[in-house]
Amino acid sequence: MYLKALHLRQFRNYQDQFLEFSAPKTILVGDNAQGKSNLLEAVELLSTLRSHRTSRDRDLILAGESIGQVTARLERDTGAVDLAVTLRSNGRRTVSLNSESLRRQFDFLGILNVVQFSSLDLDLVRGAPERRRHWMDALLVQLEPVYAYILQQYNQVLRQRNALLKAIRKAEGRGDGEIGRWGDRENEGDDFSQALDREANPLATLDQLAFWDAQLALTGSRVIRRRARVLQRLAPLAEHWHQEISGQTEVLQVSYAPNVGLAQDDPQQLQTEILVRIQQKRVAEQYQGTTLVGPHRDEVEFAINRSFARQYGSQGQQRTLVLALKLAELKLIEEVIGEPPLLLLDDVLAELDLHRQNQLLNAVQDRFQTLITTTHLGSFDAQWLNSSQILQVQAGQLMPPVR
Amino acid sequence: MPGVGPKTAQRLALHILKRPEAEVKALAQALIEAKQQVGQCSICYHLSAEPVCEICRAPNRDSETICVVADSRDVIALEKTREYRGKYHVLGGLISPIDGMGPDQLYIQPLIRRVSQQKIKEVILAISPSIEGETTTLYVGHLLKPFTRVTRIAFGLPMGGDLEYADEVTLARALEGRRDLD
Ligand SMILES: Nc1ncnc2c1ncn2[C@@H]1O[C@H](COP(=O)(O)OP(=O)(O)OP(=O)(O)O)[C@@H](O)[C@H]1O
Ligand SMILES: [Mg+2]
Ligand SMILES: [Zn+2]
Repeated sequence: MYLKALHLRQFRNYQDQFLEFSAPKTILVGDNAQGKSNLLEAVELLSTLRSHRTSRDRDLILAGESIGQVTARLERDTGAVDLAVTLRSNGRRTVSLNSESLRRQFDFLGILNVVQFSSLDLDLVRGAPERRRHWMDALLVQLEPVYAYILQQYNQVLRQRNALLKAIRKAEGRGDGEIGRWGDRENEGDDFSQALDREANPLATLDQLAFWDAQLALTGSRVIRRRARVLQRLAPLAEHWHQEISGQTEVLQVSYAPNVGLAQDDPQQLQTEILVRIQQKRVAEQYQGTTLVGPHRDEVEFAINRSFARQYGSQGQQRTLVLALKLAELKLIEEVIGEPPLLLLDDVLAELDLHRQNQLLNAVQDRFQTLITTTHLGSFDAQWLNSSQILQVQAGQLMPPVR
Repeated sequence: MPGVGPKTAQRLALHILKRPEAEVKALAQALIEAKQQVGQCSICYHLSAEPVCEICRAPNRDSETICVVADSRDVIALEKTREYRGKYHVLGGLISPIDGMGPDQLYIQPLIRRVSQQKIKEVILAISPSIEGETTTLYVGHLLKPFTRVTRIAFGLPMGGDLEYADEVTLARALEGRRDLD
């Protein structure tokens, strides 16, 4: 797919900027805080309806304005598509495809596919587990847009269930049994009075928690199965690239380490397994007032030459690994979607040495449209520069570069 | 007020200020009367000016079928389809621990009483398929199943959609395609 044109109106520090992409690679060069990342963020928004920098639309709208808009023309094998996202400071969004506004925002996902690679990704390996879950989830949304809905449902169950566990803990602290489940706590002295309560009002004590357990198992199993599947497909690609980039000296192993998992893929059994684990953690969950079982506690593990990259990987190895993951993402999306996605490189090229830059260049070629930000053109390979459209970014405006 | 942003609110306020005093008085009076007169039906908890609502009183409606909804707005939406000839039961919300809504805050107990004490052939659960709606459906279904046949409407509705926003054709079709709650 190819992004032909982009139009930013009252978006971040852009007043009204139109941009036509004239080469497979576009380099945005400029000093700090001029709007380079903002432009990439606009493309990210069109792809995922999210920004990794903020969750408030107000931040995305030009300061002092109440409405902002990003529109684009995308060429896909199936034809040209016009994309538009309108942001309002009150948070209400409108998205439209070919000038027709969509009732369900989920329908907007998966039309423009991007792989993002920023200097922040360099601590994907070493950062908190949450980083790796986000990374996996973002990839899944690109491949299977319905996953955005599946994940949202799981998170909603999680929020509700945590609220209930907190309410139970509070009620327990007060010693009244109006909410919750007490079945597992047979040895407690006040069980008898609770049994009486239950008789007085069987509906109130009927296990509400059990229904949230079931919802957690149902929605959680969907998340787990899709995560397992995507990593299974991504792993061989990443392992191949890591070997390539490291000059055949390193063997990478990518594995999914789910909080609750199964050797074989069986949705029914997986739900049962989650319920069993919830039973085991029942007391701890009610004591802590939070959900301790489920894919919100998943992890992704990377091992290089059989030792964990998170603890033992050198800076260089981790860079190789992240680059390998990004190249694998590009390939996987291309395989699944049938068209090469865009690559957004924010501030990251300068962080890679010439060898890794060239690996990236060779893998990307002209097949993957690439947007690159940088403060200096100096560290670029001449090959990159010659084949690229170069634009200068200055205070929210684009202009031809001053050479 | 729900669905009214600050701009609309301002426009409404200014509009009222510009109208003649008699008109404003009439509006105020109407609001007060509505508040005083419109309460809840003592059987189904739908909005009603009488102790028992029109639907519950209607002799020609099937009193052996009860359609359970979250809100009075859903009754109004379903009535517009003209497909349904049974009675209703309004729960007054959905189970949602975040909002402090548990089964006790809903009219679930009166529903169980209705179903266990009368001859009811079928209870149709017509609750939005949101997470909270699903949980409420499972919960209520579980309690009703010992007494009667429990079905839920099929959702050809948009994912995460609200009954209130579904068009009449979709709702009517969903009602036809209802299935037993498993
Ligand atoms: N909503 C907004 N309205 C106006 N200006 C904004 C808004 N949001 C961000 N900015 C401005 O945008 C600039 C930051 O832009 P951006 O993050 O794209 O910088 P950059 O060019 O990528 O810089 P760096 O090289 O440091 O990464 C800052 O000057 C910031 O004040
Ligand atoms: Mg930047
Ligand atoms: Zn009634």
